[in-house]
Amino acid sequence: MKIITKIIGSLLSLSIAAGCTAEPASQESAAPDSLQAIREEGTITIGVFRDLPPYGSQDSSGNFVGYDVYFAEQIGKDLGVKVEYVGLDAQGRVPALTGGKVDLVLANFTVTEERKAQVDFADPYMKVYIGVVSPDSAPITDISQLAGKSLIVAQGTTQQTYFTTEHPEITLDVYTTETDAFAALKDGRAPALSQDTTNVLAWALQNPGFSVGIEKLGEPAFIAPAVRKGNTSLLNWLNEEIAALPSDFFHNNYAETLEPVYGSAANPDDIVVENGNPET
Amino acid sequence: MNWDLLATYTPMYADALWVVVQLGFWGVFGSLILGALVALVRHWKVPVVDRIAGGYIEVARNTPSMVQLYFLYFGLPLIGVKASGFACAIAGLTFLGGAYMAEAIRSGLEAVREGQYRAAASLGLSQTQTMRLVVLPQALAVALPAITANVIFLIKETSIVSIIAVVDLMALTQNLIGMFYTSNEAYLMLVISYLVLLLPVSIGLRALERRFRRGIA
Repeated sequence: MKIITKIIGSLLSLSIAAGCTAEPASQESAAPDSLQAIREEGTITIGVFRDLPPYGSQDSSGNFVGYDVYFAEQIGKDLGVKVEYVGLDAQGRVPALTGGKVDLVLANFTVTEERKAQVDFADPYMKVYIGVVSPDSAPITDISQLAGKSLIVAQGTTQQTYFTTEHPEITLDVYTTETDAFAALKDGRAPALSQDTTNVLAWALQNPGFSVGIEKLGEPAFIAPAVRKGNTSLLNWLNEEIAALPSDFFHNNYAETLEPVYGSAANPDDIVVENGNPET
Repeated sequence: MNWDLLATYTPMYADALWVVVQLGFWGVFGSLILGALVALVRHWKVPVVDRIAGGYIEVARNTPSMVQLYFLYFGLPLIGVKASGFACAIAGLTFLGGAYMAEAIRSGLEAVREGQYRAAASLGLSQTQTMRLVVLPQALAVALPAITANVIFLIKETSIVSIIAVVDLMALTQNLIGMFYTSNEAYLMLVISYLVLLLPVSIGLRALERRFRRGIA
């Protein structure tokens, strides 16, 4: 027992020590992710999805592409700095900010209460619903069909939180990456998979035999850029930037990155948010 | 640190711990059987099978266990073999552990000197008697430290099964942090859970080792 208490004690003191060293970093002028530091360094590090096309993924030559990357490029241009990308998984997005690995996360990051306690969100640039995709041979069109069955989600997504808290009657099969989650659906390991409607629409279009049986579950959620908690200089700049962008910027972004994938399956006005105004 | 949360998390961690115990038990059990078979094949230099066993050991020890799990879970369905995540986890642990156990057991068998066999023969012991009464007790005493190290190694190796959607301690921790960002509470419960499992196992195995050595000496 002595050993156990000793080990736990040292672990606790470690985490307390970590908390202390984090304190000075939040002082705006010294922080390496402040607007000033980014401008001085000439580089902004942006975390984007590494495997979630058409939002963030790598093309065959290794370049990051997608809706989030289109926005990231504009941010780099308007800040007058070089953009350095870091590919992230869903569950790596908060740690990437809290751990100082990236200055900004633009990774299809839905604003939630739990996340707001961890990071600061700027104004939204997209809105999403929760969607459910299933094979055409056994379509899931109502959530009640899944009671007592399992549903595939990716770790760290809003869907995981939503179904855990709102639908405990459904067993969740949690995969660590989007790629594995969709592979499991293809292998028929569970009757359905849930992700943002936009993502399941995109995937179903490329995977014949599957369709989105549930398109809008719950209230719409918003997707916004996120910065480390307390990084007000970058947050304020982002909000000004979003407000100042041409009022068709994200529609143009949609036309270039999402339209080729969605075609007529989606309406840009259901997805795009211009100038941070949720009503657009 | 939110202490109420620890109370809420305790039953979840108990469930996940039970998953680890089952994975660990069946993984170790399977590895010991597979390992013993492979070790005997190699020790007796059974033609052809010996070569296959050698190849297996190299493959199992020189590929990451994560790759092995991916192969079993996502690869095999391509040729029509689909097993549950839990079954794949046990198969993966057995595949990995079998190679390490085989080498441990073989080292024990090879430590028994030629003279022991001749002495047994001169006493008129049959081949099975020689194995049971003379060779195996000595071989096990030599191999036991390596075997027990492998047991602990295999139990710890269960922590990667989250990649195939099995909810072990590590997966539960990642889930809770991913959903509620309660890192301090979740990591503390994780460390405690592994210690609760591994400390008694480790102490028990060490006692077993001591006992075996004394029995031989």
